[in-house]
Amino acid sequence: MPNGIWVLVEHQDGKVKKISLELLSAGIEFSKKTGQEVGAVLLGSGLEEAVNSLTPYADKIYWINDTLFIPYTSEAYLAGIVPLVKEHQPSILLGGATSTGKDLFPRLAMHLQTGYVPDCTGLSIEENGKLTALRPLFGGKVFAEVGFSEVRPQMATVRNNVFLIKEHPDRSAQIISITPSMDSSLLKKKVVGFEKAEGTKLDITEADIVVAAGRGIKAPEHFKLIEDLADVLNASVGTTRATVDEGWRDLKDQIGKSGKNISAKLYMAFGISGAIHHVLGIGTCKTVVAVDTDPNALIFNYADYGIVGDLFQIVPALTEELKKVLAADR
Amino acid sequence: MEIYVLVKQVPDPEAIVKVKSDSELEIENKYFTNFFDEIAVEAGLKLKEKFGGKVTVLTLDHRRVDALRRGISMGADEAVQITDPALEGSDPFAVARTLSAYLQNKPFDLIFTGRQAMDDDAGIVGPAVAECLGIPHIHSIIGLEVDAQKKEARVVREVENGKEVLICPLPALFTCQKGLHSPRIPLVMNVMKAMKAQIKKVDLASLGLSPTEVGAQASTIKIQKYLPPPKRPPVKIIKEDFPENVKTLIKLLREEAKVI
Ligand SMILES: Cc1cc2nc3c(=O)[nH]c(=O)nc-3n(C[C@H](O)[C@H](O)[C@H](O)COP(=O)(O)OP(=O)(O)OC[C@H]3O[C@@H](n4cnc5c(N)ncnc54)[C@H](O)[C@@H]3O)c2cc1C
Ligand SMILES: Nc1ncnc2c1ncn2[C@@H]1O[C@H](COP(=O)(O)O)[C@@H](O)[C@H]1O
Repeated sequence: MPNGIWVLVEHQDGKVKKISLELLSAGIEFSKKTGQEVGAVLLGSGLEEAVNSLTPYADKIYWINDTLFIPYTSEAYLAGIVPLVKEHQPSILLGGATSTGKDLFPRLAMHLQTGYVPDCTGLSIEENGKLTALRPLFGGKVFAEVGFSEVRPQMATVRNNVFLIKEHPDRSAQIISITPSMDSSLLKKKVVGFEKAEGTKLDITEADIVVAAGRGIKAPEHFKLIEDLADVLNASVGTTRATVDEGWRDLKDQIGKSGKNISAKLYMAFGISGAIHHVLGIGTCKTVVAVDTDPNALIFNYADYGIVGDLFQIVPALTEELKKVLAADR
Repeated sequence: MEIYVLVKQVPDPEAIVKVKSDSELEIENKYFTNFFDEIAVEAGLKLKEKFGGKVTVLTLDHRRVDALRRGISMGADEAVQITDPALEGSDPFAVARTLSAYLQNKPFDLIFTGRQAMDDDAGIVGPAVAECLGIPHIHSIIGLEVDAQKKEARVVREVENGKEVLICPLPALFTCQKGLHSPRIPLVMNVMKAMKAQIKKVDLASLGLSPTEVGAQASTIKIQKYLPPPKRPPVKIIKEDFPENVKTLIKLLREEAKVI
């Protein structure tokens, strides 16, 4: 009988990523219903701190300890994970809809001859352990509830901010250290360089708050206004394809059909018309604010709060006012 | 250099898609060649121009061959359509198995696919084909240089906190992301030629696959129910003058939405 709700834990600079804690928290909720164990799987060496920080979030932590797992490659991860899955036969294996999850999970699922539902915005479980995944199709014009055939593990990747993080101080996971016999000749690809993105901001897919401007900002240097607002809110800065194609902003910050899907708690759009290609990328944001001079801009159809106005007036005022209000909180 | 590009004709992002029933969608008849697949075709053509060789576009679809014609009009040399009624209802894994069955014994150096198809938005087929064929893959690439002599590629991939550079031996499969190339717009003359181009048709039997290995019954994931997207409440337009509107917005975000 397959047993276990497992999460592939992602880490960066020795720290566990938020998405992994969100998924483990969901796993614990599911385990209350099904009575299954929650397992955290992480791969890499020098992860003592990360492993210890996970103990209130799982029943078992499988730490596959080898230097070959950092940086991530699909070959190394497959070689590390597959034997463990075959040995323990978890019923569920979850991961983040991240660059790692999207690269690894389809290949891993094919290898294990099991089912995988990508980029989910919801998950639910029945007492018998059957998982149902909710995911957007056609960029979010429709959603689908997706189930699995009899195959196990049931695999899914999930977007950021779908589940809330909840620590369980009464839990204290058992740490299982595994030293795999890795053959480095297995690794066909090699990571030879890394160009770190400028600044310290989170990727727009990971941020709780994203503030964005489109062509309405008129010139690349005016993005300073948006950056300042982002600093006050500890937000990341997004944009539209229009400014990326102009060369004003980097592709990594493009929201929408040919960019990224974000699921921030708060998304603020300034001078963005709301073309379908753009708004398909914000469908799962919780609260959306739009500011545009054109009262008929489509973006207002997708917003919770709107101001018809000039961003050059609104944004600096918003930044100043927020500084005051948030300072008063502290 | 032998290059295969996997292409799919999908509903345009502007097409209206609605839920008709739990198990059926209504899709406006407005299709285009998947945005990322055109980038993949461009990647193949650029390499052919540099190193010589052949670009083949391949689709699994028993109705639409427009993506193949698009590929030919851009400059691909050959087009192959895998078509069989038994493929109906296949999940992306069954699609990948079938495409792999065709590719298996071909002498390819590179396979390109799109990052994802703009209908199911899955991003499964590329990596799954690479697994079936036992070759390395890299997902969502934005940079590529090939060393034909050494039979290896230098690839840039986007990750959350930056860009990763990888060296990958060939043959390999790469899924293409915006930023890799701007796909060329075919000349009208070539579009006309592509309309008449020969398309090679392949069925399951000739791939050595039985109908039970594909289609709905062989699929590991199954759509149980379609749902309309969650509805947002109507927008609240803050009508006050500046600067009161800014203060009101902050108040709403703090007290009503509770997001800051
Ligand atoms: C296949 C395909 C894929 C695409 N993918 C994407 C994608 O992933 N992401 C994406 O964003 N787009 C995408 N697009 C492009 C999309 O269709 C739009 O062209 C684009 O989103 C428009 O960007 P924008 O809102 O910045 O510019 P515009 O549409 O030009 O809008 C600018 C807005 O700014 C307002 N404005 C002007 N001055 C001010 C001011 N002073 N204060 C406030 N408001 C002001 C205007 O009223 C207007 O509403 C795609 C298109 C295609 C065909
Ligand atoms: N039916 C198909 N025929 C040919 N290629 C496909 C097909 N489905 C998907 N692909 C390729 O795989 C990529 C990812 O598709 P998907 O996994 O459906 O998101 C697409 O961009 C195509 O390059």
